[in-house]
Amino acid sequence: MNWLQRLLRTRRMESQLDRELRFHVESRVADKMRSGMTEAEARRTTRLEFGGLDQIKEDCRESRGTLWLASIVQDLRFGARVLAKSPGFSFTAILVLALGIGVSTLAFSLYNLIALQSIPVRDPATLVKIERRSPQNIVPGVPYASIAYYRDNAKSLSTVMATMTAPPMVLDQDEQRINPSFVTSNYFTELGAPAMIGRLFNPAREDAASTPVAVLSFRLWQRKFDSDPSIIGKTIHLAGKPATIIGVTSQSFANLGTENPDLWLPLPQHSYFVEGSLPLDDPKFDGMILMWGRLASGVSPSQAEQELLSLTNQLRKLYPTVIWDDERILITPGAHFFTLSDATPILAFASLLVLLILAVACANLGGLLMARGINRRREIQLRIDLGARKSRVFRQLLTESLLLGLLGSIAALPLSYAVLRIALLYANAPAWMSALPDWRVLLFTAAMGFLAALFFGLLPTLQIVRQKKERTLWQQLVVCAQVGASCVLLILAGLLVRATLHTLYTDPGFGYEQVLAIDPGLSDHGYTSSTAQTYLDQLQSRLRTMPEVTSVSIVQNPPLINEKVMISGFTIDGHLIKTYPNWVGPEFFQTMGIPLLRGRYMRAGETHVVMLSQSLARKRWPTEDPIGKEWSTGKNTVVGIVGNTRAMELNNSDATEIYYPPTAESLPRMSVLVKTTGAPNAITPAIKQIAGSIDPKLLPSITPLKSGFRKNIIEIEQVATVISLLGGIAIFLAVVGLLGLVSYAVSQRTKEIAIRLAVGANRTEIVSAILRRFAWPVLIGLLTGVAMTAGLSQLIRRGLYGISGLDPISYVVAIALLIAILAAAALLPIRRAFHLDVARILHSE
Amino acid sequence: MTTPSKFDLPQGTLDLLILRVVALGPVHGYAIAQRIQLISKEVLQIQQGSLYPALHRLENKRFLAAEWGPSETGREAKFYRLTAKGRTQLKTETESWARLTEVVGMILQHPQGEPS
Repeated sequence: MNWLQRLLRTRRMESQLDRELRFHVESRVADKMRSGMTEAEARRTTRLEFGGLDQIKEDCRESRGTLWLASIVQDLRFGARVLAKSPGFSFTAILVLALGIGVSTLAFSLYNLIALQSIPVRDPATLVKIERRSPQNIVPGVPYASIAYYRDNAKSLSTVMATMTAPPMVLDQDEQRINPSFVTSNYFTELGAPAMIGRLFNPAREDAASTPVAVLSFRLWQRKFDSDPSIIGKTIHLAGKPATIIGVTSQSFANLGTENPDLWLPLPQHSYFVEGSLPLDDPKFDGMILMWGRLASGVSPSQAEQELLSLTNQLRKLYPTVIWDDERILITPGAHFFTLSDATPILAFASLLVLLILAVACANLGGLLMARGINRRREIQLRIDLGARKSRVFRQLLTESLLLGLLGSIAALPLSYAVLRIALLYANAPAWMSALPDWRVLLFTAAMGFLAALFFGLLPTLQIVRQKKERTLWQQLVVCAQVGASCVLLILAGLLVRATLHTLYTDPGFGYEQVLAIDPGLSDHGYTSSTAQTYLDQLQSRLRTMPEVTSVSIVQNPPLINEKVMISGFTIDGHLIKTYPNWVGPEFFQTMGIPLLRGRYMRAGETHVVMLSQSLARKRWPTEDPIGKEWSTGKNTVVGIVGNTRAMELNNSDATEIYYPPTAESLPRMSVLVKTTGAPNAITPAIKQIAGSIDPKLLPSITPLKSGFRKNIIEIEQVATVISLLGGIAIFLAVVGLLGLVSYAVSQRTKEIAIRLAVGANRTEIVSAILRRFAWPVLIGLLTGVAMTAGLSQLIRRGLYGISGLDPISYVVAIALLIAILAAAALLPIRRAFHLDVARILHSE
Repeated sequence: MTTPSKFDLPQGTLDLLILRVVALGPVHGYAIAQRIQLISKEVLQIQQGSLYPALHRLENKRFLAAEWGPSETGREAKFYRLTAKGRTQLKTETESWARLTEVVGMILQHPQGEPS
């Protein structure tokens, strides 16, 4: 049945119902007149017997049941008319809802994009990521020796792939390095990825012995080669090694994992591109290789885990050093950008913030609706007097709320889309990530709109329908909730903004401005301890001869610029202390400008000594002198205490550090730090030249620590911006909500105010009379908010970059700001009330 | 209690009465009302309007079918008649009503049913 037929049928049914009832009434009247009544009398008594015509019609429609749809349409139409009649209210309500729902939709879209959505590859359901775990180790990589063994022997996996992210490489003569990814030659065919131009790797053609080749990403092809289609077959130089370009991936190609490489190289050719590196299947090869696979048909992940575990036990006999004690295999879905298994607290925190915003929005709307209920009281009373049942009026008002919820959801979608799009662009996200909402996001948004409508619509509607005058408790709850939630968001925003400023303007505990880090990549190129020692000694002594250089030191983990951070744990008195270990040369502390507080520096060649940061020493020996003491593990003696730094994590002011002298194993992983008197970049060419003359095959990456610091700051600022934005939304919502509530309170007491004004009452008295009942809820809201924030801030302790979660300035400023805004929002409607026409109001009542 | 002989209809029995009246042959709403009033000797108090929602409900459940035709006064009226489904419904409803009144009667007449 199409809509026209349905409409006609409804029309016909209505007219038939009318005729049927009229027939009854007319027959009755005729009968009564026959028995001698006057027509007027007959009509009057018949009407009494029969009941209200419209009421009965409505009951008939309802008892047919089929008309519920029609009545909802009727309700919706009526609701739309009501909303259109007061555009100011509707606009505010939809805006408030769109903000509240939009924030949660945005958060959900992001979560959906990275954790729920499958990346666009062939047959994503069977794609899995294979990792290994043991009680002591959580490492995402699997040794290549194991991968090859699984590939050859596992029956539960139909295919095995491997990817390896290598350190940035020099492309031709460019200053800016590119990020390569080594992949097995079946990688692109298994993912079902087409080439944009040329061809991608072919398992039959690319192996260790074939011509070295490279596949470009669409991005690199555009940026570096101006989208030149004749690039296929040309030769480029990577780390000085020639390779032929065979193809370019499509723009929407989805790489496995979170990396976004500039180009792909065949994993079998790794040792060609990284000269001197160990062969892949050498058990000592320690590059980080990720393992992926496809489950054979009908095999569950846990069955595959079982099979791989038994293979692991066979492997242990072949390579005893490679396999851990109690090693087990972990198989997770592979076709997601990121699996948020370890991120539950962050997820919970984010959802809490988002729900807080939504709750504030809902509470505000509840207040607005209630304020409007006053103005609509007459209309509703009239409808009830005319015979509408309360349930019907209730349904009608709820439909209005649902309509608002729906409109809010619709308005929220473009809002969240725009922000997500900007964020993706800004974050340089892979091209396949689309900000367009999928069915999950649409469903989520609709559900949020529906829930919000129920939440903000139900209570006020009940109150309005019951025509209750006593609404104080609900009102106070609304005030309490929104003050509390706004308070949390504002304080958090304050804390994070302060934290950003703190990181920017306080001493991180070391000097970084004049320091360069040189990473020659020795271990990647197969250097042993003794060859590394020779190289490092040569490089250091050559650097020291430069007039601009004031000091030079070796270090395993250069501060600020490290992609990976090492953490080790010590148990002190039953408490686990996490600390950043580092292996450093004797001049490290002078180079970095870290002050020596007690004892002495380590001497060159000295072993079994250790230096601690003051913070770590205090934790271990709160009252005693640590110098000369044995460090927990026994063999090492504490010789010196140095100042605290936030070198490894700028955002962790609780950081503690422990410094060891270089060990034989750590030498191939060493970088060299250089402190200069002038601008760090000025000596880069000279350093390159020195390094090239010692070993031309190494192309060390030279990075000023300042750039790492800047990168850190940008990240911190981004978080602070997001939170401030949320805080801004919270303030906006709080203002709208309070304006609504106080207007409501004022409109409820217009008569009272008018009388007071008429008898010449003091205005301050009137103001305090109106505002008095908001004082307690505001106070309770503030207290709850402060308590909640204090609890929450422990959760984001490390996000606070050296600010205490109880930083009084943030709290005081946020609360003062909130009170000021609340006061302004409260006084505005009252001011308006004073300009009322007293005489007119008193007459109208 | 000015008219103790009149009382309201128990919930749900109106449907049964309508089915019974319609079972006698096609009839319009006004006549159904008149007949229930007449047969019950004016004891039952039905607000006449409440008849129609019940009629529509029964029609909607396909116990009754309706068509328009001329009434005795010549005006077009909506005539209801019993469907096969309605006939079975009337039978089962009548039986269960009889059983109910019998059981209630039994309890009321039983000496142990009275408070001691």
